[in-house]
Amino acid sequence: MDGLAIFAQGVRKRFGAVEALRGLDLTVREGEIVGLLGPNGSGKTTFIRALAGLVRPEAGKVSVFGRAPGQAVAAGLIGYMTQAAALYGELTVEENLRFFCALQGRRDTERAISEALGTVDLEDRRRAIVSTLSGGMRTRVSLAAALLHEPRLLLLDEPTVGVDPLLRRDFWDHFRALAGRGVTILVSSHVMDEAARCDRLGLIRAGVVIAEGTAAELTARAGASDLESAFVRLAEASA
Amino acid sequence: MSARRVAAVARRIVAQFRRDHRSIGLLVVAPIIVMSLVGALWGTSAQTVARAVVASDRSVAAARVAAMLDATAGVEAREASYAEGLAALRAGTADALLTVGPGGVTVLLEGSDPLRTGGVAASLQGALRELGPSAAVSPRIEYLYGGADFTLLDALAPVVIAFFAFFFIFLLSTVSFLRERSSGTLERLMASPLRRGELVLGYLVGFTFFALVQAAILVSFTVFVLGVSYRGSLVAIFVVEAALVIVSVALGLLVSAFARNELQAIQFIPLVVVPQAFLGGLLVPVDQLPDLLRPIAAVLPLTYATEALRAVMVKGYPLDDPLVLRDLGVIALFGVLTVGGAIASIRREVA
Ligand SMILES: Nc1ncnc2c1ncn2[C@@H]1O[C@H](COP(=O)(O)OP(=O)(O)OP(=O)(O)O)[C@@H](O)[C@H]1O
Ligand SMILES: [Mg+2]
Repeated sequence: MDGLAIFAQGVRKRFGAVEALRGLDLTVREGEIVGLLGPNGSGKTTFIRALAGLVRPEAGKVSVFGRAPGQAVAAGLIGYMTQAAALYGELTVEENLRFFCALQGRRDTERAISEALGTVDLEDRRRAIVSTLSGGMRTRVSLAAALLHEPRLLLLDEPTVGVDPLLRRDFWDHFRALAGRGVTILVSSHVMDEAARCDRLGLIRAGVVIAEGTAAELTARAGASDLESAFVRLAEASA
Repeated sequence: MSARRVAAVARRIVAQFRRDHRSIGLLVVAPIIVMSLVGALWGTSAQTVARAVVASDRSVAAARVAAMLDATAGVEAREASYAEGLAALRAGTADALLTVGPGGVTVLLEGSDPLRTGGVAASLQGALRELGPSAAVSPRIEYLYGGADFTLLDALAPVVIAFFAFFFIFLLSTVSFLRERSSGTLERLMASPLRRGELVLGYLVGFTFFALVQAAILVSFTVFVLGVSYRGSLVAIFVVEAALVIVSVALGLLVSAFARNELQAIQFIPLVVVPQAFLGGLLVPVDQLPDLLRPIAAVLPLTYATEALRAVMVKGYPLDDPLVLRDLGVIALFGVLTVGGAIASIRREVA
């Protein structure tokens, strides 16, 4: 399993009557940026949570760097940015980050915080109380918190929702730089131009990956002119 | 178990509440208000006139003692036979029957109404003290009805302190942990190396800190402002307090697993807090409870905290007194059970 960051095979998860994942397969190599594309409720978040050890699949196999998700989490290999910014609103940006830093066991706290804040361009809001920040700023703090401990796998659940275009471009530059250093990134998104920046895409629908490949491959396979119509066609074809 | 992670959780909780001035205020102000009300209540009952009968057939110099007692404020005394006095106590026309023997004074209190009994005992003790050194030997107090525990004027202070520590910390920890669940931060914590035990321990440390600050303020207030006498060591009081708070934090975490929102959490108060108030010694001394309710009191942590606090605060027992140790042991057992339950209630797989 050398070189594999994520290995998922036949993953199934149901919540009561809803079958969120129905035999999902996905493999991600180390250092790749892979986008998860799919409509609302298709199972993106559920799959990401399974990788973070927060959802236990009923069937199938999930491993992260060859380990069970729980072990990978305990070893500090995973950075998870949740879909909604999960932060302590009563605390300052700095206090939030310091707390998450301590949990991850990183020692050079001050440096880690400065770097993470630099990445999301929020140094000037270091001492602001999180609940007073704008929605986009909170998203940025949430990303900073996921980056703090320099994880080898970043799970980003719609990380750029509410982030302005300029900063979004900066984010992607940063993701690229991280990937260059060998960090693996799995990112869910609805935004097509963002999807086009990924090394590879997985189209997910009703809990299964229906197509996989680069943006160009998928567009060509669907015989479409752009990624968006390719996505629609492939989704319809699988229905 | 990583001390650093536990400390991080504890520090975070302190930081969160440090900014929540209203919660901090309530933590301290609400009990002070209640204490003052209680103080006023006891104060007035202390001023109610104690109707005493001096048993002429069993006392020396009954007439003189009765006259002297009658002359002091707050006591109305007359002289009658022991049997007549007893009948008056039963009929509710007298509160106390005194026997002044050569060995000292024995006071038989009517005792059915704790509030009144406390006031009567205090008035009589004050009056006897005024009679001079010979009577200053503390009287032997007996009861026609009821027991011995609740007659001290200040017996209620430790109970109120224990109750408020329990109540507020329970409420705060329930709501904090509920927010942790609903805001998604718990999910974030579970996707980090933090273990469930470390999280619970961090909560315990953080809230115990608040509880001890609260206790320090309350104890100072009751002692210095309300003038409640207290004998035990401060350390002993804090140890009992900390043991109780651990139970209440863990219970709060446990309850938060069964509540979907703050409103539902509030609805647990009647279930968790009210029985403790009624049966744990706050309103009625545990040994005064009807037989039917006593088994329930026996499974409430507050019952033991109340008893232990009363022992160390009012009676001045040391921490290693067998009674205090037994109570602490029982509270510790509750602690182990609730902490275990709290840890089990936090599942890594949130769904
Ligand atoms: N904890 C849960 N309890 C019950 N049902 C759930 C739970 N989590 C997810 N589901 C259901 O599983 C399905 C997949 O949800 P999921 O959140 O994975 O979708 P998603 O692809 O992330 O959607 P979106 O693009 O809206 O974020 C949905 O039908 C959802 O209702
Ligand atoms: Mg989602």
